[in-house]
Amino acid sequence: MTATFDRLTTPSNFADYKIDTGHRTIGLGAGFVGLMIAMAVVVIGLVAANELTQGNEETVSELVAVGFGLNTLALATLKIGIAVVLIGILVRLWLRVESIKSSLPALRAGGTDEPIKTGNATTPYGAATVSSTVPKTLPIHKMARTMWAPMLAMGYMAVVAGLVVSWVWAGNVGTSTGVAAAAWTQGLQFLGEGLVLSGIAFLLGSILAGLREGGGQVQEALGVPVKTLKMPTTAKAFVALMMAGLMVSVVQFILYLVTTGFDTLQDVQTWFAFLGPLRELGLGLILAGITLALATIANVLGFQFWRIRDIVKTGQ
Amino acid sequence: MTTAAITTSFKTETTTTAPDAILPQKVGRKLWLPMFVMALMGFAIGIVLAIVRAVEVNDATDPELIAALGHFVPAAMFVGFAAVFASISFAIARILGEFRVGGGSVQEAARSQVKTLKMPATAKAFIGFMMMAMMLILAAVVAHVIVGIGVNNGDISLVDSEQWALWLEAARRFGVSIYLFGIALGLATIITVLRFQSFRIREVAAEH
Repeated sequence: MTATFDRLTTPSNFADYKIDTGHRTIGLGAGFVGLMIAMAVVVIGLVAANELTQGNEETVSELVAVGFGLNTLALATLKIGIAVVLIGILVRLWLRVESIKSSLPALRAGGTDEPIKTGNATTPYGAATVSSTVPKTLPIHKMARTMWAPMLAMGYMAVVAGLVVSWVWAGNVGTSTGVAAAAWTQGLQFLGEGLVLSGIAFLLGSILAGLREGGGQVQEALGVPVKTLKMPTTAKAFVALMMAGLMVSVVQFILYLVTTGFDTLQDVQTWFAFLGPLRELGLGLILAGITLALATIANVLGFQFWRIRDIVKTGQ
Repeated sequence: MTTAAITTSFKTETTTTAPDAILPQKVGRKLWLPMFVMALMGFAIGIVLAIVRAVEVNDATDPELIAALGHFVPAAMFVGFAAVFASISFAIARILGEFRVGGGSVQEAARSQVKTLKMPATAKAFIGFMMMAMMLILAAVVAHVIVGIGVNNGDISLVDSEQWALWLEAARRFGVSIYLFGIALGLATIITVLRFQSFRIREVAAEH
């Protein structure tokens, strides 16, 4: 399974570094579709606000239900677009590794072939390990490479399923079926959003894995000490925030299902008042984790350029 | 080694030394962390207000306060979202800055002319979309606070409050969509930069 997903994020052996892989176009195209759906949702919202002034409460509730389902679909589609662009970044990272591997022998200064001293090293970008071969893949990186695709697929399916349920909600406004459908729509769609965002977080984890492995491969091929950054604090906090956000997304889904068993509308409204912000908190935590993943990528890139410059200048 | 293709397919600027980060990248380097902290604070305040509102909904004694809190909760949560999306955008700008400065420094170390990619259209659009989204969400947040205060003081009726809630929800939602599209554009710029650097390093090696 992991091998299948790896094929999506790594170029074939015969891939030419000059090619445009097309991920950018597809990703931005999907994002544009999401943006168009979001514009339709804005119109629905404005119509609902207008209906409210005319006292058409039922129509307002129907429009709110349809708008909710469509808006979450728009956001998920935009995120799928982002995921495709991230896959494109992964593919291009490997093509860059090949370019650096084939170019560095001509660029490196003539150094003496000293025996490699393994152990630890301090760099301007943090603590690093020194080895003679590519370091082993970290368990969290293996997990990221296995999980990104199922998360994206399951998440988008949950959002689409929630969209269908939102039509049931819109068709049964003011009834117990409508209230239950509202709970299912909100719970299911935000679980889906959480899963899609987690898929994006796992893709960022895969990028970090690719940077680590690719950087190691370049150094090993040159026969120089393989310096690899130790996992920075931002990376550890990224994993913690992402997991916390995913857990909140699952919990809110369960709590929404719990509300379908309530006897009174008052109880349902009380829980809905809290669950709305809770489901947003789940997404917010995953997004905060994604920020830290991006900050870690920036740090690793800084380290890699420093290392390449070092090899070019000293040969080691 | 494959013969390097000349980087004429990219718009570049040539210098003798590695370029510094451009202003948005410097801003990104400085502001991603404060925005990250602000986001966590926004979410925390939002959740506390949500608990207060849930208690009020359960008591059902003060509809004005419930409606007012119904504006304050999304205001706090969307301060969080605006900040977290800004933080993500700044982190992407920081990554682009690392590519610019790092790519230049490697060429300089190789005693080659330093060719740097000019800002691609996707990067300009990324900044434009980010600013539009930020303004839209923050305007909605400010409006939520004003309406919330008005409802609580009795200056705005409950029906008007609900109507404002629908308008502002539409604005917030669209703001988030614009932000996400901007982020996609920022990430797409990274693909362009990676492609350019694959070309350029082979070109520099071929010159040696």
